[in-house]
Order: sequence, then C-alpha cells, then structure tokens
Amino acid sequence: MAYIRKRNKRIFLIFLLPAMLVLFLTTIYPMLYAGYLSFRSYDLAKLFVPRVFVGWSNYGEILGSSEFLHALVTTFKLMAMTLSVQLVLGVGIALIVTQKLPGMPLARTLLMIPMMISPVIVGLVWLFLYFPELGYLNYFLSFLGFDSIPWITSTDWALWAIAIADIWQWTPFVMMGTAAALQSLSPEPYEAAMIDGNSRWDVFTRVTLPQLKPVLVSLMFLRAIDAFKIYDIIFVLTKGGPGDSTEVLSMFIYRQSFTFWRMGVGAAASFVSLVIIVVLITLFFKSLNRDQVS
Amino acid sequence: MKHLRTTALCGAVLLGLAGTASAEGHFEGVELKMLAIGDTSVTRLAPIVSEFEELTGASVQIDMFPYPGLIDKIVIEASSDSPSYQLMWVDSPWVGVLGESGALLDLTELVQRDAEEIHLDDIVPIQLQENTWQGRLLAFPASGMIWHQNYRKDLYENAEESAAFEAEYGYPLAPAQTWDQYIDIAQFFTRSAGETLAGEVLEQDFYGNAQAYSRVAGAITHDFFPIMRSYGGQYWDAETGLCAMDGPEAVAAAEVMKALIPSNPPDYLGLMWDIRTGYMERGETAQSSYWSVRTVRLTNPEEAVLPTIGEAGYAQSPTGDGNPQPTMTGALSFAINSKASDVEQQAAWEFIKWGTSRDMMRRFAEEGSGVSQFHMSILSDPELQARYPYYQVLLDAQENAQRRIFHPFYADVEEVFGVELNKYMAGETDSAQDALTNACTKIDTRLRVFPEELRLRWINDEPAAIFQ
Amino acid sequence: MSAITLKNVIKKYGAVQVVHGVDLDIDEGEFVVLLGPSGCGKTTTLRMVAGLEDVSGGELSIGGQVVNNVAPKDRGVAMVFQNYALYPHMTVKKNMEFALRPLKLDKAEVDKRINDTAAILGLGELLERRPVQLSGGQRQRVAMGRAMVRTPDVFLFDEPLSNLDAKLRTQVRWEIGKLHQRLGTTVLYVTHDQVEAMTLADKVVIMRDGYVEQVGTPEEVYTAPQSTFVATFIGSPSMNMIEAKVVAERLEANGFSMPLPDRFQGKVTEGQAVTIGVRPIEIKRVAASSTGAMQANVEVTEYLGNEALLDLRVGPHELVAEVPADQRVEPGKVIHIALNEGAIHLFDTVSGRTLSE
Repeated sequence: MAYIRKRNKRIFLIFLLPAMLVLFLTTIYPMLYAGYLSFRSYDLAKLFVPRVFVGWSNYGEILGSSEFLHALVTTFKLMAMTLSVQLVLGVGIALIVTQKLPGMPLARTLLMIPMMISPVIVGLVWLFLYFPELGYLNYFLSFLGFDSIPWITSTDWALWAIAIADIWQWTPFVMMGTAAALQSLSPEPYEAAMIDGNSRWDVFTRVTLPQLKPVLVSLMFLRAIDAFKIYDIIFVLTKGGPGDSTEVLSMFIYRQSFTFWRMGVGAAASFVSLVIIVVLITLFFKSLNRDQVS
Repeated sequence: MKHLRTTALCGAVLLGLAGTASAEGHFEGVELKMLAIGDTSVTRLAPIVSEFEELTGASVQIDMFPYPGLIDKIVIEASSDSPSYQLMWVDSPWVGVLGESGALLDLTELVQRDAEEIHLDDIVPIQLQENTWQGRLLAFPASGMIWHQNYRKDLYENAEESAAFEAEYGYPLAPAQTWDQYIDIAQFFTRSAGETLAGEVLEQDFYGNAQAYSRVAGAITHDFFPIMRSYGGQYWDAETGLCAMDGPEAVAAAEVMKALIPSNPPDYLGLMWDIRTGYMERGETAQSSYWSVRTVRLTNPEEAVLPTIGEAGYAQSPTGDGNPQPTMTGALSFAINSKASDVEQQAAWEFIKWGTSRDMMRRFAEEGSGVSQFHMSILSDPELQARYPYYQVLLDAQENAQRRIFHPFYADVEEVFGVELNKYMAGETDSAQDALTNACTKIDTRLRVFPEELRLRWINDEPAAIFQ
Repeated sequence: MSAITLKNVIKKYGAVQVVHGVDLDIDEGEFVVLLGPSGCGKTTTLRMVAGLEDVSGGELSIGGQVVNNVAPKDRGVAMVFQNYALYPHMTVKKNMEFALRPLKLDKAEVDKRINDTAAILGLGELLERRPVQLSGGQRQRVAMGRAMVRTPDVFLFDEPLSNLDAKLRTQVRWEIGKLHQRLGTTVLYVTHDQVEAMTLADKVVIMRDGYVEQVGTPEEVYTAPQSTFVATFIGSPSMNMIEAKVVAERLEANGFSMPLPDRFQGKVTEGQAVTIGVRPIEIKRVAASSTGAMQANVEVTEYLGNEALLDLRVGPHELVAEVPADQRVEPGKVIHIALNEGAIHLFDTVSGRTLSE
C-alpha cells in the first residue's frame, strides 16, 4: 500500500486536483473570505461607507444584540416544533406503509414526493394554501364551519405555519429512513412476541423503538442541521414576520447582508451561528450517546 | 418600412449636423437593457418599445421584477464596474443611496438642453424635485405619486348611513379631514356578515379601512410615513442629522394605525400594498389611503369591481389637526447608469424622453389605464378630469407638498421601521414610543460613525438646479 | 400437559396448496419430530400449530380444544426459532422478562423463574449480556430459556440447531433431550436432520411435498420404511435401491438375480416391477464360490475409521456397502458380495409403497 502510494503520488495528486480546486473555490475560499469580511466594515450598497478593519466590533454587535438572541431562540423553537412532529409522524407513517397491505408500495412512493420538491416551490404552494382571505386552507376551514386562521399574518400562528410546511416536506424523509430500518428488522422476534402474547404497545415501545433508535438519532441529526439552515420556506411565506415571529438565524443573516448590505456583520453572524450549532449539536449527541451506553 | 427607416436615418444625420437634439435613427446597433419593476409605470410601456426601436434604431430589452427585492438588484448593478443594465427604474427614495454612490448619470444638463422638448414647465415641480440629490436631477419621472384617500362615495352619500353616522358621532359624514375622523368613519363602517350596509344585508364582512401593516419590504412604513408627515413630523433632526422619527408626531401616527386595526381585515399584519388596494378595488372597505399609482384602477371596471357596484370618491389625505400639512409625494422614475458608455447614455436619455413624454402620458390617460399623471396640463384637462375625478385632488395636493424621504440609509429605515412598527401592531412591543425609539436607536448607531457635517448634507434638500 | 391433534389440516397460499391434509396425534409429554427435506411443509405445519399461520382447512386442536381461530398467545405454546429470535437490544435477563410480561407475574416470581431456568440451562453468568456478546450455542440456550420461563404446555422448535456448528449441534441436541426428560413437556420439533430426529424423537413424522409419508418411532421408520422415500431418507449412508422384476419366484435385476425371500410370497405378482432396498451394512463380502455371490467392481473406497464405505458397480447398478474397516479393498479391485436376504426391503416400483406388509 505504502509502496503503491509512493509510486503513484503524482497521479494521485492529478486525480485529486479537480476536487480540491472545486472545494477550494466553492467552500474554502468563500469561508476564508467571509472570515476576513467579518472583521471589516463592508457595505455593498453604500460605496461611500469606508471599508475598513474594525476588529471584533462586528462580533461585539451581534453578541450584544437582542435581535440575534431572538433569532437564535426562534431557530431552536422551530427546530423543536418540526423535529418532534416529524419524528412522531414519520415513524407512525413508516409503521403503516411497511405493513404488507395492498397499495403500500405506491403509498410509499407518493409520500416521498414532497421531499423532492424545491423548498421555494414548497413555500409557494403553502403560500396559496395559507393566503389570507383567499387561501385554500381557510376556505376548507370555513366550509367545515370553523373560523379562518390568520396563518402567516399572526404572530401566534406564523411559526406554526412555517413548521407545518417544513413538516409536510420533510416528514417523508424521516418516514423513508424509518421504513428502511423497519424493513431490515428481523421478523422473528416479532413472531416470538406474538406467541408470548406481548401487547402491540409493548412490542412497539420495547422491541421496535429501541432497535430503531440509532437510525432515528441519525435522521434527527440530519434534520437538526437542516432546521438550523431553514431559509427558503420562510423567505417565501413570511420573510421573518409578522413582527419578528419567524425571524430565524438565516433570516437575520440575510437581512444584515442583503437588506442592510452590512456584509461584515452578516459574515460575523454566520460565524457565530456556525460555532453555536457545532457546539450545541455536539453536546446534544454526546448526551444521547451517553444514554445509549448506560 | 426599410425605405422609411433609411429616410429617417438620412434625416437624422442632417438634423444631427444641424446640432439639434433629435435622435432619430442615431442609435442603430445600440442595445439598451432596463432593470425595472413589473408595475404600471413600466408594463404600459414595455409592449410598445418597438415604436422606440423603429424611431431610433436602438434595441430595448426590459427585465421586470417585483418591487420587493428590486432595490437589491439595482444596488448590486450599481456597484458593478461592468454593468449589464444601462437603464434603471428608480423609486424616488432610492436617489440618496444611488446618488451618493455615484451610480446614476446626472440628467441636469440634458433636461435643461431639452427643456422644451420635454415640456419641463408642464411637469409638477415636486415630481422633479423628488428625483434630485444635492440639487442634481438623477432620474426622470415616469409616473407621479401622491398620497391621498379613496373612499366609498356611494356609501358616504347614502342617506341612511350618513344620518346614522351623524347621530352617532355628532358631525356630518364626509371624507375625513383629520385622522380622528378617519378612525370614526372606519369604526362606523366596520360590519360583520349578516349586518346591514346601505340597506342591504352583507354576505361577508365589510371593513372600515384597509392599510398596509406588513413588514415585508417595509410595506407598513409606506403607510406610516404619510401619516407621520401629515402630523408635521420630520424624518431627521435638522441640528444633528440623526433620526427624528420617534417624536410625538411619529407616535401619534403609530397610534392612528393601531387604532385602525379593528377596522382592518383580520390578517392586517400581512397586508401588502397590493393586497390593501385590492380591498378598495373590490369594494370591500369604506376607505383606504394609498399612493395614486393605483387609483386609476378604481375608475376602470376591467381592473376593479368597485365601479360596477358603487362609486369611488377621492380626497386629500387627512391631517393631524385638520389644517393643511405637507402632503407626501413620490415619483417612480427612469434613470441612467453612470457607468454605461456615452452612446448608450445618449440612447438611454432618448428612451426616457420618449417613454415619459407628455404625448405618451396623454396616450396612457386616454387608453384608460396606467400611470399616475404628472403633467399639469393633463391633470387639469377638463375632459380627462371628467373621466378621472381624482385628477383635481392630485393637482391640489401638490400645491403644498413635500418630498419623500431620500436619505442614503433609506433601505435601513424602511426595513428597521417596518419590523419595529409591525411588532408594535402585532402587540409584541409595549408602546409606540418604545417601538419607534428602538428603530431610531438602530438607525442612529449606523449614522453616528459619519461626521455630522456629512449627515447634515445627506438630509439637505437642495432645490433642483434645473429650476435655476 | 396437553396433546395436539391435527385432523386433515391443510395450508393454502392462494391457489397453491403446500400442506395436504395432515393427520397427526401427539400424546401428552411426547417428543415428536417433523422430519423432511426443505419445502416439505414441516415448518408450515409447525407454524400453524404455533398460530403464526392460519389453518386453511381441517381441524387443529391443542389439549382437546380446537384452536384454529385462537390467537397464538392463547394456545399455551412457546416457540424456539431457527435464528433464536432474541431481542438484540435486551440482555438475556430482559429477554426472558419480556416473555413473562404478558403473564403479569409479581417481581419475585419473575426472578425466581428466570433464576431457575438460568440454573437449568447454565445461563447464570450470561444474564446481563446481550445476544451479540453470546456464542451461537449460548444464544440457542437463551432462546430455550425464554420459552421455558413461561412454562408452556407445548414447546415448538423450528430447526433450532441448524445455525450451529457440528460439535455444538451434538451438545445442544443432547441438552434438549435431557431437558425434555426433565420437564416432560410435549414437544413438536422440526428438523431436516435425521440424526436429530432419530436421537430425540419419541415419534418421527416424515413429510414430503406437503404429505405425511410415515409416522412412527425412530426404530419403526428405520427398520420398516413404508415407502422408498422414507427408506432412502432415513439412514446414512442411504439405502441402496435396485430396480427389479418378479420372474418365476425370483427377483431379476439387470445383471443379477436372487430368489424371492419367503416372507414376500403372496405379496407380489409375477412380472411386477419392484424395487429392492438394502442398507449398505447388509451387503457382505463373500467368497466367489458362495451361493448368490455377485461380482462387483470397487470404484471408490471411503475410510471412516471403524468401518469403510465401498462404492461398488454391479452391472449397471451402483451400490454402497459398509464393511468393517479391515475388510476394505483398493479401488479398481474386483470383489464378490451378497445381499443379506433376511434384511432386504421390497417396494412396489410404481407406487413406491412397501411390499413388506
């Protein structure tokens, strides 16, 4: 192995070069540049604003800003809302569609469609559903005799409206992963439980769920990262409003960078949120792993 | 056709030699691209640009985008060294940031040179002043804008309703002159489905008022600032150049909007400009104040329901104390990228003159849709006035008008006040004063890094050099 | 203690019938082995008894009660699966506890049962381990333990030893036998391994293609196979089968003939096509001059220690003879052999049924 590596080192590098180049141009360079920007005053629109080194003041502004804290809290609120529902629904639907019943393979395929749609389109679809006065959802609610709900125009509902759209789009992801895991479980322990007379609930909570746990943890991990980055759906549906009820971190960063054109502050906010997400997710999954070992 | 073009070309060369401003056929091969809004100030023009192309030989491509986000594209375009757009649609508050950045071509000399051709004397002066930065004209009006109120004339004149109103409020029902009256009228006409309006049982809720409360693209600030101004409120402190939009006038304006909430549709927090005007156009609200760019629709049964079920009335905006206060104006304008080549800039100016000419405006007026007029001769034309009763309101309102905010930090103001006001309306902030002070603090933080001298220059409304 | 009765039990999947009217009586405490090659319907039959498969026809009763429509948990059975079916995320103790949960016993009783069972099966040290930390044999013992703690009326075993290596298989087989002797519970045991069947069973049920070929004690199925299938399936090496014809009180095969043994007199008819069955151990080396001696070419010799197997060719027939190891000969040699007339079986070639009765 070592011999081969030595001999082909040059060829090895040639094969590696395109990938390295792409990685450098699309990830490493922008990241370094963002790091550089985060220490500067850099207004993209106002060319008369001096572009100078400002030390840690961009970071200071963010860390002392109640808006940033609010965006952080909102992000985690939304994450908790979407992840918990996606977990319950995803596992529930997976349990149904993995039954050996007619039509289930078709149902599995159909249920995956939302996942394959671009989040912007999902946002637009839900905009039609949520649209004040004229939206389909409120039409159906009034048809059923309920009062209409100000889905995206009320501070009480807007975050839920975002969450519902996200849940609609990403529950299939959890469903698919769970269904795959369910189908790989050996059927025999279930037959044993059937003969022993264990109740369905016992079997689900004590046999199925514990065996699914590693898969569910991974699925939630991926969803958590996505939830932290959620942007498209909010941009289309509420742009952070009403009030600041759906102002998540990505919207905060977007507004700093592309509404106020304060690229330095936006870059600093990106770095701060990167650190927060890395730390929190690491802590979260460490604690999960500890549970599993003990 | 070919023959005609050749003739035109020869003629143009001759005219060019003679030193006149005519540009016929001068611009064969010049390609103009315009970054524009997808609204009436452009959509009426876009289908007929071939007329301009035939006239000048230049080709014109207009790319249209929605208002929210358009300024972002223009800003990026303006900061680019090799621009792809020579023409840009500009909302008048943007001249500050674009002017200070040197993004727009100074049109002052061109306007003075072609003053006769463009009937400069016939244009409402404030609409030109709207487009100036430090006295220089950076854009040319393609549509005027006046903030005024629209109301259900048929309901105001309904005997039963007006009697009931007077009985309840102790004064006759008429277009509001103060915001208190405006609120009274809004409350009076707010009815639920099943109640009676002008003798008929309502099938759906009827609203007393519709205003924009959405924070998206700062929509709420567009309805807030005219009210603040009508109380005599100022944007900036004349001594320091810092934010003054948290004074008592601003608080009063915010409280007006707060008081109007119960009379607005239940999803008021999401009401954007076009949604708010939609309520008026469908005849679902008793009154709604907005920019005159969409007023024309209220006269056209093809664009609005109201003309088929009732009648729209028009009046100047109410004021705080009922005494005249400066009315808000605005202008939707065309500008030229300062980085375009000379020949492109010349062609672009020809395009602006063609697209904003009095003939073109009259043509739009006669066709019955389109822009808000800004030529005095058109607004005062008796035939057109008969057809568009609001023309006289526009004319009167501009007698005592002040221009809109034009500060280089306008985008920040629009967004920050949009969010803070929206939060106050949603009940998330305790008081209007808190909301406005929060917003001003944020704006001031960004302004204080600049010397006071510069801040004062930014708020100085130098009279346009074209008038001198 | 319970007895199991199958009356004309049928299993169909759609139009395909896989079990054709099985009749079987299992006495209380009996160890019954369902034996047959894969696809013979033995596992399906067992799963019907367990309740994991519906019974398509006939009547299945346990302890005198018809259980066709009784849920598995109410049949008083416990099952040990081929792949052990342990809950992979639970310790051995938890596995057993989980099996006891439906019985709602108090904690002391649960612990007592688990400890008793663990003691019997030697699982004491393994109680806190998870299945992945156990060897195959240990897992199989845990699977049995999990079945035992419930003290069922009937144990069902589905090829419990097939995943174990040969040495372990012998040991665990022995343990199962001992366990049955100790507990005395009725056992229904499925296997394709005749050694397991012969060593463990009180009664062997040999199945083929969804039919029961023969039911009997291990000795009966070995000494008195009712069909050519049973004859060749039971015994190792397999019984030699020679096609022959009854001609003038003799059995005439292509290449050799022998007199029809007296005990078959009257059971065959002249000209009947018959199959002669003779176990390898009943083929003896004889002197060339002795009566009935046949000349045979030795093709392969397999040395097994105590004895040797000779693959012989007699005319067109291939026979296997089992001889004491010291009598083995080199391949290529020619020897003389004779069949032990008293030990030959005779089957009707057409029906495959025995002519011995």
